[in-house]
Amino acid sequence: MNQVIKVTNLNKSFEDNHVLKDISFEVNQGDVVAVIGSSGSGKSTLLRCLIDLEKADGGTITMDGQDLLRDGNFAPPAKTREIIGKMGMVFQHFNLFPHLTVRQNLELAPKIVRKQDTGAMVKHTGALLGKVGLEDKIDAMPGTLSGGEKQRVAIARALMMEPDILLFDEPTSALDPELTGEVLNVMQELAEEHMTMVVVTHEMGFARSVANKVLFMDGGIILEEGTPEAIFEHPKSERTKEFLQSITRKE
Amino acid sequence: MDYFMSVLIPMVEGLGVTLSVFAITLVASIPLGFAFTLMARSRIKIVKGFAEVYIYILRGTPLLLQLLFVYFGLPLIPGIGPFLTFNRFPAACIAFGLNYAAYFAEIFRGGLLAIDKGQYEAAKVLGLTKAQTMIRVVIPQMIRVCLPSVSNETITLVKDTALVTIIGVAEVLHYAKAAVNRDGNTFAFLVAAGIYLIINFFITLVFKKLEKKYDF
Ligand SMILES: Nc1ncnc2c1ncn2[C@@H]1O[C@H](COP(=O)(O)OP(=O)(O)OP(=O)(O)O)[C@@H](O)[C@H]1O
Ligand SMILES: [Mg+2]
Repeated sequence: MNQVIKVTNLNKSFEDNHVLKDISFEVNQGDVVAVIGSSGSGKSTLLRCLIDLEKADGGTITMDGQDLLRDGNFAPPAKTREIIGKMGMVFQHFNLFPHLTVRQNLELAPKIVRKQDTGAMVKHTGALLGKVGLEDKIDAMPGTLSGGEKQRVAIARALMMEPDILLFDEPTSALDPELTGEVLNVMQELAEEHMTMVVVTHEMGFARSVANKVLFMDGGIILEEGTPEAIFEHPKSERTKEFLQSITRKE
Repeated sequence: MDYFMSVLIPMVEGLGVTLSVFAITLVASIPLGFAFTLMARSRIKIVKGFAEVYIYILRGTPLLLQLLFVYFGLPLIPGIGPFLTFNRFPAACIAFGLNYAAYFAEIFRGGLLAIDKGQYEAAKVLGLTKAQTMIRVVIPQMIRVCLPSVSNETITLVKDTALVTIIGVAEVLHYAKAAVNRDGNTFAFLVAAGIYLIINFFITLVFKKLEKKYDF
């Protein structure tokens, strides 16, 4: 299997708060990795280190054989841009550009980063909005959309740059419960198309049925890692059991 | 009616000067102000410090004092004075441009603070450079946030142009004062007031339009 992300001994502190402690894991092509764990365990920080939104303090991050970080040394800026250009990210709070229409949100980066020609881009825009079920919102402003619609636009916007890997940080946590389904469905479809995804989530249903690998984080380490089956049916550690109980109680 | 015209006609000439000071100040101080905003956010300490001190001094002292300083004060500086000697009109524009740049810098600084960190992050993961992020993502949103304050400041600027009469620039108030002194009645002041109100009426209109355009 083709390895696309390899993280070794990753460390990150905010002042004297040691948030990531010697994290190591791998992601293969086509994997859907669910990262679960209680609040403050370092899930977001881990994801943000992968795409250069946080600077790790030490360790190695390799993407597709290229080092973003090697033993605590960062790649030069141009190389970093190239490496993170292979990834897309979807945020909890969507982060759509509020002054641009849906179409402009999708087309901004292809136009000014890729200098793509308009004909191909317009087709792509239509196809991706179709995929997320929002063709009719192409000229809408983000402010007029529901949360679920905003997040689907955000996914389409990330896909416009044709990433090899998509990172999601709690994509449904800011949504009303009845709107999470439409977003999770889109993500499930991407998984079926073998998009490589790393998803920080509190949606245990999604982790169980769509992911092929689950990482349980606790206090800055990956305490347990395995198939959804192994994690949900046969958790090894007490902490994992407690966490799963507390979260199923809430659901 | 004839009297009205005899007061108004010289004032129309003054109106041209008032509008010139106004327009030159606006066009110069908005980009200059934005440059100071960026400098005040710089990671380079000396750049940041310079911008902050500049803004502090220019906002903390009277515009009238600054005007007098540029026109009468600068030429008296030993050594470089002769190179800093300006005629009345350019001196007025320089003092106003520098002063309003400080106010606009402060307005824009507030506007940038209002922009969510997520906007920068979304732009970064999409591959936009820092400059592209500024131009395509940040500035358009900053404009919306700042428009009401900029509108306010612009109206203040129209009224402040009357200050330049102190260094003998022949603008609206200059002619109004002359007519009042000559004729011994206040009619010319009322005409001047009317002129300022009309200018600000149009400015308010323009900003209403802009606010509508930037309402997303
Ligand atoms: N920018 C920051 N500056 C300082 N501390 C931070 C920063 N970001 C995160 N932290 C701290 O790092 C720790 C891990 O935070 P992180 O956001 O990664 O947790 P999380 O697992 O994503 O939690 P949640 O489920 O609440 O999103 C927390 O203690 C948090 O306070
Ligand atoms: Mg988080």
